[in-house]
Amino acid sequence: MSSEPIERRVSYLGDRLKGRRCRFCGKEYFELKNYCGTCGRKSFGKMEDIDLFYDKGTLEVCTLVNEPTNKFTKLGKYIYGIVSFHNGRIRVPGRLTDRITKPDEELDFSTLEGREVVPRFRRRYSVERCDIIPTISLAFTFADEYYQHQEYNIAKPRKEHDTPGVVGYGVYTSRFRVKEGTMERSVPFTDEDAITAAVEAGKLALIHSGIDSSLVGKVYVGSESNPYAVKPIASKVAQVLKLGEEDEDMQGVDAIDTEFACKAATSMFKDASSLVSYSKSNVKYAMVIGTDNSQAAPRDCPGGELDLFVGFGGAAYIFGKHDVIAEIEGWYSCTSDTPDFWRRDGEPYPMHGGRFTGDPAYFKHVRKAAKKLMERLDLQTKDINYFTAHQPNFQFPAKIAKELGFKEEQYMHSLQVAKIGNTYSGSSPVGLAAILDKAKPDERILIVSYGSGAGSDAYSLLTTNEILDKRKRQKMTVKYLTENPFVEYVDYTTYRRLKSGM
Amino acid sequence: MQNRPAIVAVGRTRFGEHYEKEPEKIIEEAWLKASENAGIERKNLEACYLSDYFLPITNKFGLEEGFLSELTELHVPMEVTRSFSSALSNACNAIQAGKHNIVLVGGIEKMTDRWDKIRDDLMLLEDPWSYYAGCTPEANHELMLRAYIRKYGIKGDDLEKLNIALAQISVKNHLHATKNEYAQYQRKITLEQVLNTRKEARKPLGLLDYAPISDGASALILTREDFAQKFTDKPIYILSSASATDYLTFPAREDMTHFLVSKMAMKSALKTAGISLKDLQVVELYDQSTVMEMVSLEDLGFCKQGEAWRNIYESCQDYKGYYEINEQKIFVNMNGGLKADGNPLGATGGAQIFEIFKQLRNEAGERQVRSDRELKHGCILELEGFGTKGYVYILGRD
Repeated sequence: MSSEPIERRVSYLGDRLKGRRCRFCGKEYFELKNYCGTCGRKSFGKMEDIDLFYDKGTLEVCTLVNEPTNKFTKLGKYIYGIVSFHNGRIRVPGRLTDRITKPDEELDFSTLEGREVVPRFRRRYSVERCDIIPTISLAFTFADEYYQHQEYNIAKPRKEHDTPGVVGYGVYTSRFRVKEGTMERSVPFTDEDAITAAVEAGKLALIHSGIDSSLVGKVYVGSESNPYAVKPIASKVAQVLKLGEEDEDMQGVDAIDTEFACKAATSMFKDASSLVSYSKSNVKYAMVIGTDNSQAAPRDCPGGELDLFVGFGGAAYIFGKHDVIAEIEGWYSCTSDTPDFWRRDGEPYPMHGGRFTGDPAYFKHVRKAAKKLMERLDLQTKDINYFTAHQPNFQFPAKIAKELGFKEEQYMHSLQVAKIGNTYSGSSPVGLAAILDKAKPDERILIVSYGSGAGSDAYSLLTTNEILDKRKRQKMTVKYLTENPFVEYVDYTTYRRLKSGM
Repeated sequence: MQNRPAIVAVGRTRFGEHYEKEPEKIIEEAWLKASENAGIERKNLEACYLSDYFLPITNKFGLEEGFLSELTELHVPMEVTRSFSSALSNACNAIQAGKHNIVLVGGIEKMTDRWDKIRDDLMLLEDPWSYYAGCTPEANHELMLRAYIRKYGIKGDDLEKLNIALAQISVKNHLHATKNEYAQYQRKITLEQVLNTRKEARKPLGLLDYAPISDGASALILTREDFAQKFTDKPIYILSSASATDYLTFPAREDMTHFLVSKMAMKSALKTAGISLKDLQVVELYDQSTVMEMVSLEDLGFCKQGEAWRNIYESCQDYKGYYEINEQKIFVNMNGGLKADGNPLGATGGAQIFEIFKQLRNEAGERQVRSDRELKHGCILELEGFGTKGYVYILGRD
C-alpha cells in the first residue's frame, strides 16, 4: 500500500472483527456478507451483524513464524495460527501478540492449541513513516494471562444524579516492563502505540461503566505521542468502540484530539461533564482518554534524561449523570506560558528545560490549582481522603503533597509512577484510577494534573454508593495490572526496540 | 473424452536459478526443445496458451503475449493464465471444440530475480486477512499438519513415525531428482538433514520440507487426435482434464486437513477417463511441502484418510523406488517433485506433464518406472494457491 480505500475497508472490518450470521442456518462469515452462501436468495438482506471484539475465541492450531514476510520483520519470531469463535462456527487467522519468542525456547504447539484467546487491537505491520498506520484486531493473547477476557454487559441506567461525574473508567498498560533500581516502567509491545492504548483503555472503560457505547456523544483523546501530526486518534477510537449511534459506516459522535503536554486529558474532564449536563446537547455520556507512548530520546542524547521515567499506557473516563461513581464537586485550572518541556513539529523526541522543571513549572502550577480549588470549595486537607497529582517521577508528587499538608495515607496509594513510569497524558488519570479502585462511598478525592507549557487542572470528586456496585465489573484494576504475575521484564536494549515500534 | 487432445512433444529447461537469462530466453529454450522433438515449425501453431503467476511483478511484464509474439514472430491468438494446468485446460477446450488443431502450451516463471520480495509476492495466493494477520507462504502447510495431527489424534510413536514419514518424502524426492538432468537439486539429502532443519526452525516443518523458489520454463505441443500421428508415432492423449475451486481463505474452509479441490477434480477425472484408481501407478503430485504430498495421496484416493503417513513410513523403511499401498506399487514424483525438481510456479505443471509423457513413452531413462503391469496411464495433480484450485490430468497412450 498505501491505498486509502483498501486501508479504510480493512480497518473498518478488521479493527472491530465484524461479520454476519445467517438467520436461517446460523452460518457465520468474517465479512459483511449480504446473503448466506448456503441459504442463498431467501437470506438476502436478512443477515444479522456480529462482531467478535468483546468475545473470546480458541486457538485451534498454531505454528511458529520465524521468517516473516517483509512488513512483519519487526515483530521478530511470532506464533501464527487459526482462531475459532462460537464453537467453531467462524474461524479467522491470527497471530499471538505480547509474546517475545526466546532464542532457546522449546515450543510445544500442543500446549498452546485449544487455549482461549482474546482479540487485541494492534498495529498490523510496518509501513513507511509517511503512510497511513494500518491496524487490526487479528492479534490475540491468552485469555487467562495478563489481559483477561471480560464481557461487555450493557446495564440499564438506574439513577440520575444532580451532579455529573465519572460513570466508568479503564486503565490500560502493556504487559512488558523495564526495571532499573526500584523503578519499573511499562513498555509497549512492538505493535502498540498511543492509538492502540487509547482504544484498549476506552474498551475497558465501557466494560466498567456498563453503558451503551452508542450513547457516547463525544470523545476526547489527549496525547502528545499521536503517531500522526494530522489525523485524530479519536476517530479511530470512535469507530473501533462504536461510539455514538451507528449509521451506515459512520458513528454519530463528535471526536476530537487535544494536546497540552501531560494535561491534555484532564483538561477535558470539565468539558465532558459540562456537556453531559447541558440538556440541549443531547450528549448522554462523554469519554475522555489520556494516552501516551511517552517519548524520550535515548539516554545519552539531549533530552535523554526523560528516558529514565517514561512509561506507556492510557486511561479512559466516561462522564455522565447516570449511575455516577464519583461526582465532580468543582475544579480550578491555571495557565502560564512557561517553556519547561516541548517538542517541535517533526522532531521525534521532546526537549526538557531542566532548570525550569521544578519550581517555576510543576510546583508553581500544581500548588496554585490545588490551593485555589480548596479555597473555593472551602476544603481543608482533613476533608480530603485522597490526593493525587501528575507523576513525572516519584519525588515531585510526594513533595507537593507534603507541602500542601497531605499525609502519606492520603497520597501514597495513588503514586503509580514507580510501577508503570510516567504515562504523560495518562499519568494523573492513572493515579485517580488507583484511588477509585479502592475508595469507599462518600470519600473526597483531589486530583491535580500538570501539563508542561504550562498549566494545571484541579478537580474535587465525591464518590457515591455506585462505586461498589460497578467495581465488580472490572477485573483489570491498576493493582491487577501492576502486580500481575504475567508481567514480563525486558532489558534496556529490548525496551528501546519495543518502544520504537513498527 | 471425445476427440482426445494429443500431446505430441514436450520440452523444458532445467529448473533453478537462471540469473543470466531474460524470461523470454527461458521460454524460448523450452519451446525450441518441444518443437524440435516433434519437427514442428512456428507457422504450424494456431494459438498459444502461456502461463505465469508473477512475471508482471517479478519482471515488470504486463502483456506477456506481446513478448511471445516478438519471440515467435507469430500473430495468432494468445492467452495468458496463471498455472500451466489452467493454460492446458484452455488449450484442451479449444482443441475439443474444434477451434484449433495445433497449439503451443507454455509455462514460465522467474522468481529468483526478486529474491528479497518473492515471499511477499507469494502471499498474493493466500487470502488478504491471513496476510494481514502475519501469515507466510509456509504457515498454512504447518497449520494443516497441526490440524491433521489433532483430527486423527496422532500421538506418541505414531507422531514420531508421521514426522519421519514426512521427512522421508523429501529424501525420496531428492533421490529421484539425482536421475533427472533438469532438476534443480540433483543431490541426495538425508533424513537427519530434514529433521535438523525442523529443529533449527523450531516448528513442524523445516526448510527441507519445502519446495524451493525457481526459475524455469516448460512447453508442450497439443494437437487434435487425428493430427497427432503427423508429428509422432507415440502421442500421449489427455484422457481427462478436471478442476475444482475452493475458498481462498484457508481458515474458513470446513476441512483444514485436506484439499477439497483435489478430491473433486480426481473424482471427475477418473469418471471422464473411464478408468479406476488401480489403473494409475505413476503419479506426479504437487508437493509444495511434504505435507501436501502426504495429504494428496489421501485426497486422490490412494490412501485412506489419516493413514498415508503409515504407507509412506513403511514404504520408506527400505525404499525401492515406489510407495507400496494396498499391495500396489505407486510411483510418486519420479522427477523429484517440486521439492527437488524445482517449482517455477507457472512452469511447474508443465514439468509434471513432461514426466508423465516421458514415463508413458518409456523414455524416462534412468527414472523409468518398472510397474507391475503395462504402464498405460499417468496422472498429475497441480494446485493453485494453498488448494484454492486443483487440476487433475489423466494421460494415456494407445
